[in-house]
Amino acid sequence: MAHAVTRQVVDAFYDAYATGDRDKLAAMLHDDVVWSIHGPVAVMRYCGERHGKAQVLELAANILPGVLADMKIVHQSVVLSGDEVATLNRLTARRRSDGRSIGYRFSHFLRFKDGKVIETLSIIDTYDAAEQMLGHPLAVRDETISGADNLVML
Amino acid sequence: MSDIPQKPAAEETADAALFEAYFEAFASRDPQAFGAFLHDDVVWTISGPIDVIPYCGTHRGKAAVIDIMARQAPKVLRGVRLVRDKFLIDGNRGAVLTRLTAQVPAEGRTVSYRVANFFRFENRKLIENTSLLDSFDAAEQVLGHALDIGDAPPLADDNIVAL
Repeated sequence: MAHAVTRQVVDAFYDAYATGDRDKLAAMLHDDVVWSIHGPVAVMRYCGERHGKAQVLELAANILPGVLADMKIVHQSVVLSGDEVATLNRLTARRRSDGRSIGYRFSHFLRFKDGKVIETLSIIDTYDAAEQMLGHPLAVRDETISGADNLVML
Repeated sequence: MSDIPQKPAAEETADAALFEAYFEAFASRDPQAFGAFLHDDVVWTISGPIDVIPYCGTHRGKAAVIDIMARQAPKVLRGVRLVRDKFLIDGNRGAVLTRLTAQVPAEGRTVSYRVANFFRFENRKLIENTSLLDSFDAAEQVLGHALDIGDAPPLADDNIVAL
């Protein structure tokens, strides 16, 4: 029977993730963990897929903190279901390169095995996040969407 | 009368059958079936750029949410199919990870991207939903071309170090 994940485990995981605590995270990651963040790597280099504990630790304890400082994660919804967890969150942070504030929504779908995280899939509101990372609105030409009647809305 | 299985109004814990029935109605894009599950005061949020995907944003009330499904969304995407990858239930809360496939009207071009839905029931009616998508990818697919990010990418988040 699958091990039921508790809210305490989830909170401990996010404490370690938000602070980039390598040792605490290492203790919570399965050796065969797969970590996927959907998004444009050209704008947010922490997007992409990592395989194995070493790659995920490099992401969480080095790459991500290298981009975002003072990261805080506030849960808007936490859904615990056996060995799986889904969270809807708001991330706030400071861009390390220039101190600019960043804030966007993201979700995690986590799966645990033997009490450790073996799979994480992250969906981010990447359009919003990319605009904030770039520091300007994404240019959308006026062709918009066929049949969407955007002329009325604009 | 609602098609939803009835329980006492004070019941705050949903059940798997209710959630399954709700998701099937949602995925069917049948406004009548979908509407039967909605609370009068439902708040429905779709995270994304409204200048590209006009039905994004927060919509309040049953009528507004049904209008999004029945009238607004089909202007952007037709023939929507949802395949669910994950379906989690916890008390009156649920989370679904899906892959959405649809066609852009007029062009017939197919788009496909992942959507996460987080929802909450109150008195066995859906009172709150937040949909999250990889909106950069979705916008590129809906527009049919890559978004122009100019010459910023190498500096966007200190990528110059990685280069």
